[in-house]
Amino acid sequence: MFGFARRLIATTAIAAAMLAGAMPAEAQNKVINVATVGEPPTLDPVGVTADLVSIITQHIFETLYTFDGTWKVVPLLASGPATISADGLTYTIPLRQGVQFHNGKPMTTADVVASLDRWTKVSPRGKQAGAVITGITAKGDAVEIALKERFAPLLPLIAMSNGAAAIVPADTIDAANPLKQFIGTGPYKLIEHKPDQFIRVAKFDGYKSPEGPASGYGGHREAKIDEIRFVPVPNASTRVEGVLAGQYQFADSLPADMATRFSGQTAVKGIMVRPFGFPLMIMNSKTGVAANQTLRQAVLAALSPSDMLLAGFGNRAFFEVEGSIYPKGTAFYDAASVQGYGAADDKKSAELLKKSGYKGEPIRIMTSMQYDFLYKMSLVAQANLEAAGFKVDLQVLDWATLVQRRADEKAWDAFFTFHTFVPEPSLITFMNPAYPGWWDTADKKAALQAFNTEADPAVRAKKFAEIQKLFYTEVPTIKVGEFYNLAAQSAKLTGYQPTPWPFFWNVDLTN
Amino acid sequence: MLTYLARRIAGMFVVMFLVATVVFVIARVVPGDPAAVMMGAAATADDIAALRARLGLDQPLPLQYVMFLKDVLTGNLGDSIFLNRPVAQALAERAELTFFLTLMSVSIAVAIGVPIGIISAVKRGTATDQGVIGLAMLAASLPSFWVGLTLIQYLAVELRWFPVAGYGPPDATLGERLRHLVLPAIALGLPNSALILRFTRTAMLDVLHEDYVRTARAKGLGQAVVVMKHALRNALIPILTVVGLTAAILIAGAIVTETVFGLPGVGNLIVSAVLRRDYPVIQGALLVVSGIYVLINLAVDLLYAVADPRVRY
Repeated sequence: MFGFARRLIATTAIAAAMLAGAMPAEAQNKVINVATVGEPPTLDPVGVTADLVSIITQHIFETLYTFDGTWKVVPLLASGPATISADGLTYTIPLRQGVQFHNGKPMTTADVVASLDRWTKVSPRGKQAGAVITGITAKGDAVEIALKERFAPLLPLIAMSNGAAAIVPADTIDAANPLKQFIGTGPYKLIEHKPDQFIRVAKFDGYKSPEGPASGYGGHREAKIDEIRFVPVPNASTRVEGVLAGQYQFADSLPADMATRFSGQTAVKGIMVRPFGFPLMIMNSKTGVAANQTLRQAVLAALSPSDMLLAGFGNRAFFEVEGSIYPKGTAFYDAASVQGYGAADDKKSAELLKKSGYKGEPIRIMTSMQYDFLYKMSLVAQANLEAAGFKVDLQVLDWATLVQRRADEKAWDAFFTFHTFVPEPSLITFMNPAYPGWWDTADKKAALQAFNTEADPAVRAKKFAEIQKLFYTEVPTIKVGEFYNLAAQSAKLTGYQPTPWPFFWNVDLTN
Repeated sequence: MLTYLARRIAGMFVVMFLVATVVFVIARVVPGDPAAVMMGAAATADDIAALRARLGLDQPLPLQYVMFLKDVLTGNLGDSIFLNRPVAQALAERAELTFFLTLMSVSIAVAIGVPIGIISAVKRGTATDQGVIGLAMLAASLPSFWVGLTLIQYLAVELRWFPVAGYGPPDATLGERLRHLVLPAIALGLPNSALILRFTRTAMLDVLHEDYVRTARAKGLGQAVVVMKHALRNALIPILTVVGLTAAILIAGAIVTETVFGLPGVGNLIVSAVLRRDYPVIQGALLVVSGIYVLINLAVDLLYAVADPRVRY
């Protein structure tokens, strides 16, 4: 009896071992670690315009439209282009069917209406559109947006991934508060967030991709990677070393002078992202000494953008001395309307300064070491201005103080900041008259109105050139130039397309 | 002893109250507010004002202070404006890392500083002593971020012996997490070992000239017994003091190393909160850290009684 039991046990054990060997090994999850510049202020993409927020949340949330590889507005959750009435006052947006939220519920017209409604009340971009929207209603399988006047930027504003018109379930919206549940329709869903440690998003199996070939943010989207971990790594050197060591498969926003670290590497490659952004010296057009237009023209004449950019970025491959608000290759690029940029002419500046009636008051310029390149550029600007006869009070502040102080029109005359590339001019901060600097002249209002109410893209480009001409006459802001972003990726990452807000759908990880 | 303990703990609460008040006032006097930082560049003054109202930042300061004190007295450190969670939870999430990093750094600092300090004192005036003092000065002068980046460059990137940064993936074991702390602990421990070394050397030199040490040598005891049993035990009090101070400072003072290594520790939390003007975190974290600081000092004082039986409370 015992012999039989021993044989039975032995046979069972052998059979179990054979079965275990025969069963396929559990598939390895593809996981990538993406090193970002820090912890995002929120995961609600609607209320804030911080780029870091959109880099992460664009994987979770989607908008009705987005931008393709040529920065044209294309459908995302919409099933096709919007039908615009002849008078330009009604937009009918057809919706894709069968789209699911991450909680398994289908996206309905009611969700879209509620989301857009929240966007117009909470988002800085939505409020811009909300000023002309008279109603958002469901119309069968479409949503209708009614306007009180023509507004060409409507769809680009809806397509933007920060301050985003993100579509979420209506029952997750609390009008008074930010989102507490982060449920979207994107190819990835949020699974865990540990502040200052990581944000984990995992492939959403119920994802329904838009049709068409992938182009920019538009077209086909496929989550080939199972999990993306966004890891905040505030120190740029650590991001560089981490991607070189293989701990991160992608590292964003690296200092331009570290590009040489990637030369000769086979496992990691440096990527230049262009266009990326442009540094600005915003002038106070409302109050104080800089409210004088001739004085602002004197500032423009004195500055040497090439010296400022070289000081800020060091590596010439990563900047361009370009005065057009939009870079070459974009629909709104225009060289003819750029006047007086890059003069670096002390004499001319001094003449304009005298003409302005300048009495030697200190020009209070705010800058911050928190963005090293802005600080370095401001030092060069100070030298340029002093050579022309300005008295400069350069105030070096931490960023939070600068942001607060710039809201006080009496506290400053100029401040340094930067702007990420945006595909639509209405998205540029200084176009908004309420943005610090307060560029709000009658000519600008008229030019912007004409631009915003024009639907024909070719005509819009010409009208933007007229705005740019005013930009160089009234000098509300000085554009220093263009700068490009350095990022780095593992050679094992395939399918990545460099873009200002990096995304990882359609990206794969090879062995 | 109990009376002494009660007196010290009562003093701790007084210190914490003073710290809370000072931090509350300073945080609000410094320009900048969390709403502006959170909203981003495109936000207008109206957007920021709306968020301030939602966060209760538009309330009069005395009212904010009273509400803050009321919360603290009921054990509520408030909710982080930026992290969207209770301050206590934010601290708890970082407590493990900070505890182990402090423990490992102090252990490295003591393991290097005490033995070499003893050797330096015993070999006073010799080339060994001079060399050790020179190395100690060098170690103390090295900026911790440079040490950190150098360790990363050679031990993490080139040799791949250790990870570059972070505290491990979500499913990391404790062992893996501790492995992430080795390089930062060395970066912190090395400069701090120099201070402990100097204190150890000085304390040992004071004791090595005492009569009882001469007596112990005269009785024929070996050098090791004289130094370790008779001299070191009596030199322990100042050494304990500096070790305790080092540990207390490292709890919240490792910010540079935490930044270089991407570690979400308490130091990082506090400095990030200052940059973001996250008032509840600044207040709550500094309150807790000040309490821990006082407790560490109390523990060191109690250890005096262990090191020196003559000390009574």
